[in-house]
Amino acid sequence: MPPEFSIRSDSVDVEQIMTQIRARIREKRGVDYTEEELRQLASVKLEKFLDPTKVRSDLIAHYRRLREPGSGATAPPENYAFDDHLVYGSARGGTGGVITRIRRLLNPVLKLFFNPNPIIQVLNRQSAINAYNREEFDRTAALNYELIHNLVLEVTRLGIEVKNLKMRVESLSGRLDFSDRRARALESVVQYRPGTGPAAELAEAAPTPAAAGGRAARRDGDTPGREGEAAASAGPIKGEAQRARRRRRRRGRGGAAGQPDPGSIASGGEPGAQADAADGAGAPGADGGGGDSLPFDGGEPGPADGHEPGTGDPTDR
Amino acid sequence: MKLAVVVQRYGLDINGGAELHARYVAEHLARRADVEVLTTCARDYITWRNELPAGESDVNGLRVRRFPVRRERDPGRFGRRSHHVFGSAHSIADELAWLDSEGPCSPALIDCIRRNEPGYDFFLFFSFRYYHAYYGIRAVAPRAILVPTAERDGAVGLSIFAPIFRGVRALMYNSFEERAMIQAAAGNDAVPHVVVGVGSEVPARTDPERFRRKYGITSPFIVYVGRIDENKGCKELFSHFERYTRAVGSDLSLVLMGSSVLPIPDHPRIRHLGFVGDEDKFDGIAAADALVMPSYFESLSMVALEAWALGKPVLANGRCDVLQGQCLRSNAGLFYESYAEFLETLALIQSNRRLAFAMGQNGREYFQRHYSWPVIVRKYLDMLDRLRAEDQGGARREPIEPLPGWFARRRAACRAGNDVVRELPAGAARRAERRR
Repeated sequence: MPPEFSIRSDSVDVEQIMTQIRARIREKRGVDYTEEELRQLASVKLEKFLDPTKVRSDLIAHYRRLREPGSGATAPPENYAFDDHLVYGSARGGTGGVITRIRRLLNPVLKLFFNPNPIIQVLNRQSAINAYNREEFDRTAALNYELIHNLVLEVTRLGIEVKNLKMRVESLSGRLDFSDRRARALESVVQYRPGTGPAAELAEAAPTPAAAGGRAARRDGDTPGREGEAAASAGPIKGEAQRARRRRRRRGRGGAAGQPDPGSIASGGEPGAQADAADGAGAPGADGGGGDSLPFDGGEPGPADGHEPGTGDPTDR
Repeated sequence: MKLAVVVQRYGLDINGGAELHARYVAEHLARRADVEVLTTCARDYITWRNELPAGESDVNGLRVRRFPVRRERDPGRFGRRSHHVFGSAHSIADELAWLDSEGPCSPALIDCIRRNEPGYDFFLFFSFRYYHAYYGIRAVAPRAILVPTAERDGAVGLSIFAPIFRGVRALMYNSFEERAMIQAAAGNDAVPHVVVGVGSEVPARTDPERFRRKYGITSPFIVYVGRIDENKGCKELFSHFERYTRAVGSDLSLVLMGSSVLPIPDHPRIRHLGFVGDEDKFDGIAAADALVMPSYFESLSMVALEAWALGKPVLANGRCDVLQGQCLRSNAGLFYESYAEFLETLALIQSNRRLAFAMGQNGREYFQRHYSWPVIVRKYLDMLDRLRAEDQGGARREPIEPLPGWFARRRAACRAGNDVVRELPAGAARRAERRR
C-alpha cells in the first residue's frame, strides 16, 4: 500500500501551516514589514525614472525646448523696464504726447498730495534686480538640468542593476530551496542495509546518557562512545561519512537549531530544529527511521529522516 | 408546496455563479416541491439584451417563465452612478437610480410576481443586488426568501438594501463570512437564516489521462477555472506564477479554462484552453495538482467546491475572506496574500505530495459533509417547513420598511457604499464547520 494511504488527514491543520509559512517568510525577510507597508514603500520609489523605457536621454534638450517660445510651456512674465518718464507717458500715439505734456504740467499739483519719486526709484531698482535674477537663473538652471540628467541616468542604471540582482537572488534561493527539498526527499527513500544508516545510529545512541544531554559534544564529533558504536555498526568510513554529512546539514541550517520546541508542531524555526532535537533525545526510529518526521514531512513517499511523528514542522519539505 | 425561483437569467448555457446556483437549487428542489422559474429574456449580464423569447418554456423539466427587459444597460451611465454611490455621499434617490441603471429592469416580471403572490407558497430570490430581487422582495416580502450571493463590495453598503435584508422571511447564506458581513451591515440577526451554500454536479468518475491526451499536457500543472479577468485576480496570478517558475525552475504549468477578457502572458508554462465543456473541466481538475482560485471577491466559489469534491487541494487568494474561511474550515487548501506566500504555499503543495493528498481527502470529506445535494436540499426543506409552520401558527410579522418620502429620498444623507463596507467586520470565520 503506498504510504499516502496511511496518512491521517485529520492531522492537517491549515491554520498552523499558514502560521509557520508566515513565520518562515518573516525570518527570510529579516524585517517584519507587513504587506501593506511594503506596498507603500514600493510606491514611494521613483518608478517612473527607474523604468528604462520612460527615461529621457535628452533631458536637457527637453527642458530647453520647454523654455522656447511657442513650445506650449508657460512663458515667464516679461520684465518691465521702469523709469521716471513712464509714469507720465501714454500709449495713445499723437494724443499721447499731449496727454504726457499735461501730466507733466500737473506734476507739481500731484506733489501736493504725495511724492511719487521714491516709488519710481524703487520700481526702477526692482526692474534691475529682476533682470539680474533672470540671468542668474538661466546660468544655474543649465547646471541643474545637467546634474539632474546625470542623476536620473545613474539612478536608473542602479535601479535596473538592483532589480536584476534581486531577481537572480530570488531565483537562486528558490532553486536552492527546491533542490534542498528534493535532495532530502531523495535521501529519505534510500534503503539502508539492516543495522546501518542513521536510524541504527540513533537507536544505538538512545540509551547513552551522554548522547541525550550532549548534543554539542556530538556535534563536534568527539564523543568516544558514539564513535565506537558507529564504527561497529557501519564501518569507520561509512559512519564517518554519514556523520560528516549530518554535520554539514546542521551547519547549513544555521543557528535556528538552537531552541527546539519538540512538543509543538507549530514551534516555528527551521526544520532542522526538530531534527536536532530528535537526535539529541535519542528519538525512536529504531526500525530504520521509518516514522515520518511529521504528518507531511518529506516531498516523496517513503521513510523520512528520523523525526518523531507529530513533532516536526508540517511545512518542512 | 409551490415555489418560485426568481433569478436575473436562467438557462442551460448560462454559467454565471448565481445563475448556476439558482438552476441547481431549482432542479433539486423540484424533486420535492412544485417549482417554477421566473426570469428575464436576457442572456448577457452586461447588456441584459432580450435574446430569449418571452413566455413559457421548459428547461430540464422545469417550467420557466421569461419576461422582457424594458431597456438595456447603458454601461457609461451605470459606471458613473456606481462611482457616485460607492465613492461619495449620496441620496436614496441616487441609489435607486443606480439600481435602475444596473438592471435587468423588467417591470413585467415584478408585476407577475405581485399578481401571482397567492399562487406560490414562497419565492426564492437570487442575488440581492439586482432590480428583480429588490423590487420583487418589496412586492412579496412575507413570502420572500433571499439567497443573497453577496460579495464584499460597495453594493452591500448601500442604504436601500438594509431594509431588504431585514424584511425578507428568511436568508440562505453561502458562507459564514457572508452572513457576518450582511448581519453587520443590516442588523438582521433576528431574520431566520441558515448557511447553506450550493452543491455541484460532480461526475462520479473522471478521466485525467483523457484530458492530458486531448490537450497534450504531460507536465504537472495547477488549474484555474473561470472567467479570466483582472477582477478575478488573474493578473496577479500571472505575475506570481511567472515569478514562481523563474524562482523555482520547476516544470509546473498553469492551465487556464474559461473565456478571457484579459491578455494572457506569452509564457511557455501558461496554457489557455478557452471555454471548455463540463467533461473537460472535471477531467482537467482531476488531472491537476491543485486548483488555484485567485479571486478577491467570492461569495462561495463553486469551482473550489468542485475541486474538493474531486479530492484536489485548493490554493486560494487569502484576501478573499470567504475563500480563506473555506480553506481553514475544511483544512483542504492553502492561501496566499503576497508573492512570498504564493511561492511558499505552491512549493509546499508541489513538493509535498502527501500533504496535497491529505488536503484533497479533507476537501472531499468537507464537500460530502456540507455541500452534497442531500445536505443542501435538507437545509432548504427544513427552512421552508419552519416558515410554513410559522405561517400556520399565525405568527405576527412586521411589514417591510417603506421607502422614505420624496424629500427624504433626495437628501444626500447616505455614506459612500465602499466606506460602509470598509468598516464592516472582515476576516475568515474559523468557527462552525471545523473538523477538528
